[in-house]
Amino acid sequence: MGIKTAFSSKTELQDVVSDIQSQFGDFEANLVVFFASSTFGPEAVASQMGAAFPQAETFGCSTAGEIVSGRMLTNSVVAMAFDRQSVKTAKAVVLEDLSSDSYDAFSSFEQCFNKPMAEMDPKQYVGIVLIDGLSGKEEQIIDRIGDLTNVNFIGGSAGDDLKFAATHVYANGKSYSNAAVLAMIEPVGEFAFVKTQSFCPLAKKLVVTKANESAREVLEFNNKPAAAAYAEAIGTTVADAPNHFMHNPVGLVFEGEPFVRSPQQIKGDSMFFYCSVLEGMELSLLESTDIIADTKKAVETARQELGGISGMINFNCILRTLELNQKGLSSAYGELFSVAPTIGFSTYGEQFIGHVNQTATILLFH
Amino acid sequence: MAGKIRQMIDTIINQRAKDNAMLVGVIKTKLMLKGIDPNKFTAQSPDDPAVIAKLEAVIKDLK
Repeated sequence: MGIKTAFSSKTELQDVVSDIQSQFGDFEANLVVFFASSTFGPEAVASQMGAAFPQAETFGCSTAGEIVSGRMLTNSVVAMAFDRQSVKTAKAVVLEDLSSDSYDAFSSFEQCFNKPMAEMDPKQYVGIVLIDGLSGKEEQIIDRIGDLTNVNFIGGSAGDDLKFAATHVYANGKSYSNAAVLAMIEPVGEFAFVKTQSFCPLAKKLVVTKANESAREVLEFNNKPAAAAYAEAIGTTVADAPNHFMHNPVGLVFEGEPFVRSPQQIKGDSMFFYCSVLEGMELSLLESTDIIADTKKAVETARQELGGISGMINFNCILRTLELNQKGLSSAYGELFSVAPTIGFSTYGEQFIGHVNQTATILLFH
Repeated sequence: MAGKIRQMIDTIINQRAKDNAMLVGVIKTKLMLKGIDPNKFTAQSPDDPAVIAKLEAVIKDLK
């Protein structure tokens, strides 16, 4: 069988879990990944999903909208189950204190896989990271993971349906906030990654000359007040600049690939971002392109390179979801993921190598 | 003096990537995200103490 997906849009959690359980039927899952709308209580959803699949490692998080093969959903739970034909071993651990070192979590992986993290083969293992989306600690976590291992971690920041009150990550029957779930998976077959964002870099550069990095605040671009420099770059006033945030974020462009940093707000002369920006970074002004066409091309290219897809997990930025909704393109976007069993969710941030915004990071299994 | 930054970047890449082309790209991207553009420095680049200090911190973190 390999990989199977299920979803439920029922309103009562008990019915949702029974629905998903019955869709999986007698599938012998050793790993279940799930994403649940914040309409469901975090402790209850974690414990009921954990109890429904006691033989499997279970982990997931709260969302700002869900994705399942061919559809974008709201107020639902989506789940992906793997059996031993698709995943040899999976282990999920929780980093309960986001100030602590990821190394503590990694020692559990080393025990489980009987191998030092530094020696794990990135072609054999893949990591998934789900982080409290309101913690503001994503860069710190993904950066530290990258220091400790060559295994690639991909993932997203948990959401709460745009309430911005509390987000949760789930592992093996428990719910956590101000925490991250790190999962290490040894798939049977090959796997690949897609990082796609629908922006092209413009010639205009904004160099961060003064920043409060931990607050994700830029005080100056090009030695000018940040808000004024950004407004000047897009040819508008500071007052009008927020209207351009969605279509003109900025990006760290490396070898032609943008790592998007989305502006959140202007406060005084400063600009705040959804992602940290470091002093000295040269950012390019970006301009939006076609999400549907770009995502379709990225998934198709990966499908051809992989020689087929048996499952996808899509961590799709909430800002992309909002743009798709605005343009009436949600169905078309969902349709892109009808080519293989897919789950995903609308995130408050995406991770692949680093922490990015307005991006979809997608894990694909052969 | 010049060239120390390029040398440090090459050492980081070689130690972590061990000639694996896919990993070379990943390590270079990680450096970029840490605020050091690996393509910006050559053997002729001056030994900027601020960049060297940043790279020393990266080397320490990578251990």
